[in-house]
Amino acid sequence: MASVLGQLILNGVLLGGIYSLISIGLTLIFGVTRIVNFAHGEFLMLAMYITFWLNSLQGIDPYLSFVVVVPLLFVAGLVAHRLVIHPILGAPSYMQIFITVGLSVMLQNLALFLWKADFRSVDSFCSSSTVKIVALLCGAPKLIAFAASALTTAALHLFLKKTYLGKAIRAVVQDREAAQLMGIDIHRIYLLTFGLGCACVGVAGTLMAPIYTVFPTVGVYFVLTAFVVVVLGGLGSLPGAFLGGLVIGVVESLAGFFVSPQLKEAIYFLIFLAVLLVRPSGLFGQIGAEELG
Amino acid sequence: MKWKRIFYPDLYIALSLSGVASVAALFVRNEFFTNLVIWTFFYASLGLSWNLIGGFAGQLSLGHAAFYGLGAYTSALLFLHFQISPWIGMLAGGAVAVLFALIIGFPCFRLRGPFFTLSTIASAEVLRILAIYFKDLTGGSVGIQVNVSPSLAHFVFESRIPYLFIAWGILLGVLLLSLLVERSWLGSSLIALREDPDAAEALGINTTWVKMVALMISAFFTALAGVFYTQFVHFIEPYSEFSLENSIQFAMIPMVGGMGTSIGPVIGSFILTPLQELIRAWLGGRFLGLHWVAYGLVLILVVIFMPQGLVGFLRARRICLPEGWRRLFLPLAPARVGREMDRLIPPSPVSSSAQEEILLECKGVTKDFGGLVALSGVDLKIRRGEIFGLIGPNGAGKTTLFNLIAGFHRLSSGSIYFGGQEISGLRPPHQVCRRGIARTFQVVKPFGHMSVLENVMVGAFCREKDPRIAEEEALKIIAFTGLEDHATLPAHCLTIADRKRLEFARALATKPDLLLLDEVVAGLNRVEAEQVEEMIRSIRARGITVFLIEHVMQSVMSLSDRIAILHHGEKIMEGRPAEVACDPKVIQAYLGEEYVLACS
Repeated sequence: MASVLGQLILNGVLLGGIYSLISIGLTLIFGVTRIVNFAHGEFLMLAMYITFWLNSLQGIDPYLSFVVVVPLLFVAGLVAHRLVIHPILGAPSYMQIFITVGLSVMLQNLALFLWKADFRSVDSFCSSSTVKIVALLCGAPKLIAFAASALTTAALHLFLKKTYLGKAIRAVVQDREAAQLMGIDIHRIYLLTFGLGCACVGVAGTLMAPIYTVFPTVGVYFVLTAFVVVVLGGLGSLPGAFLGGLVIGVVESLAGFFVSPQLKEAIYFLIFLAVLLVRPSGLFGQIGAEELG
Repeated sequence: MKWKRIFYPDLYIALSLSGVASVAALFVRNEFFTNLVIWTFFYASLGLSWNLIGGFAGQLSLGHAAFYGLGAYTSALLFLHFQISPWIGMLAGGAVAVLFALIIGFPCFRLRGPFFTLSTIASAEVLRILAIYFKDLTGGSVGIQVNVSPSLAHFVFESRIPYLFIAWGILLGVLLLSLLVERSWLGSSLIALREDPDAAEALGINTTWVKMVALMISAFFTALAGVFYTQFVHFIEPYSEFSLENSIQFAMIPMVGGMGTSIGPVIGSFILTPLQELIRAWLGGRFLGLHWVAYGLVLILVVIFMPQGLVGFLRARRICLPEGWRRLFLPLAPARVGREMDRLIPPSPVSSSAQEEILLECKGVTKDFGGLVALSGVDLKIRRGEIFGLIGPNGAGKTTLFNLIAGFHRLSSGSIYFGGQEISGLRPPHQVCRRGIARTFQVVKPFGHMSVLENVMVGAFCREKDPRIAEEEALKIIAFTGLEDHATLPAHCLTIADRKRLEFARALATKPDLLLLDEVVAGLNRVEAEQVEEMIRSIRARGITVFLIEHVMQSVMSLSDRIAILHHGEKIMEGRPAEVACDPKVIQAYLGEEYVLACS
């Protein structure tokens, strides 16, 4: 039993690593621009498709396509911000929600139109290899994904703490008006943050392509999970998103085993509702952030 | 306004649009066209239902598929297992949806903005997962086929025509209800709380309950449409019925047509549904998903270029019509301050015997915000019919005291009595307003997208639920406060002086015994200030006790019968204006130690 439990928790943590990586981008964008990006999952979908096509057309291993996908997603983020997000900064929240939902619908169906609804999968050099840790088994791609996720979080954390740009981003999170008075160009910060958030999803996309199949609505599935993670960790909090991802991963893994694999999502959605009610600011969020809407 | 009652332009536009479409469908006798008309009516009803909570109240739900799916499943299962006619199933489905609205409403309404939206999405997702999981009951992901012989009792027909009429009937039903809501205290309250929840509470609106009522009505009709869908298509399954796409669709119709209006969703559906069906017929077969790409693009463009929807876009143009045009519809002749005011609202000063009565009493009122003591042990007694001034340096705790009296904050200790009854436990603020305390806000909070008249009617609805009487009262108060030239203007167009008048007018409309005025003179020029002072005196002459916070000494000294001074959260002095003005403690609080010496 102990080994089963251990295996379940390990699976959960590894899965959670992936959730964390998606959620970090989402939480970063929210923290800075105060916009909940409902199209976040579609950027993930794009990253996975780019990885897939690089692999099937050029034979590039998913882990190498990283160098192409991440900058591409960064640019995609910049473009999306400039065209869609920028015009509605400071608009009422219903407009912000509608516009990102519109972007999501558009990208999803653009993928459907261009690449059809087929499920596609990518193979990597280590797709079928497993690693044994003590008595527990885990797939190499998942382990790589987890390690990369932890590294990205750490790197992002350092970037925000140590560099001037990072400090400027944090200043904008605290108080956008005061930041402006200190000579920070907040629109540049918004733009960069949106690109950065999408680049995070780019990392996630390359790491997930060898694990999950790619199809036009793959983003919806993961983005709903990411919302749960982000709210649990506290919208706008990076450590919150990382830990929240692990918690949801473990919950999903345990619920899938002990309750029913079909109900695992229902369970974490209920957790989501409970968190929203009991502590809407999440584990690490700024108290009152949810009021800002 | 009277003209609205005569013309009901929204109703006539909707009636003629849907009438022409129905007649055309009857004559054309083309199945594709008839279906198109039915779907247009169907989505118009769903858009209208969604609009009740999403548009009027601004609570952006993207979980309405939950109500829709509940309606569809309840009726289908009742028929499948118990052979209960879908006509009864409709009501049952509606009831189940209302129940679900009650369960999720209270928790979700505590959240604002995107958090509310996320919680509604999560609720619908949970239902979808459960519907897939409980296979034995719901048929799981395979779905339910409704296979019965056509008959009226079964709500299944061979021809499309009965469906057309049923869809039309549902549309007209929802539309009439929506129009009724829009013109009643309920619609007024919903729009007010969308524009500014705090100000709405201060005007006596129980915002949580009002949102709840709107959500329940909305859920009921959404479920009704769900049942219609089941009977029309004969097949339901969890992936599509409970899907986020459905919820987005319901919300998008009012968004394009014009949220927060009754005609908007109808127009939205008449534009979007045919567009969608045509694009689907044209592109759908050959280019999978392309019609949704167009849909997403339309949504983005509408939000950027026409955020108020088509109706809002057109209405915004109408405001620009010349002054005289608007005046035609105002039943009251303009009345100026002076004798005219007496005619509008006759003076009824407080009798000298009643003046002894203590209307408001604060006993040891203390408030600390996590260590920062904003008020400590403040005692105050305000007599009926008095004008009582409260002054003190910035940060002395004046506005905090108002927030405590009006129920916006909870007291740390102490108690507040109003007319002999304790009100310090009353929260949220609407209860305090109902007891007869109205307030204005230091930073004015007009309901920007409502006209001046509608703003004041929000206050009037606190005492009077009949819209005609409320409107009459509001018009009187508008003339009384000198806003009659602007009655039909949206409040966001007003100058700051007029916005302050509007604060007055709204608060007066709630027929208060006690009026709390938070810095109503500050920021006005001398002429405007004198008008406001005059108004405060005439308000008192109508038996309303006034408690005011003011920084402009000239005003506060000339207006007040008595004045109290707060300093660092404590009351340091209370007395007549002349006594207060030369008290060393007051001078010290305002100007510092050295001035006391200089004065003495």
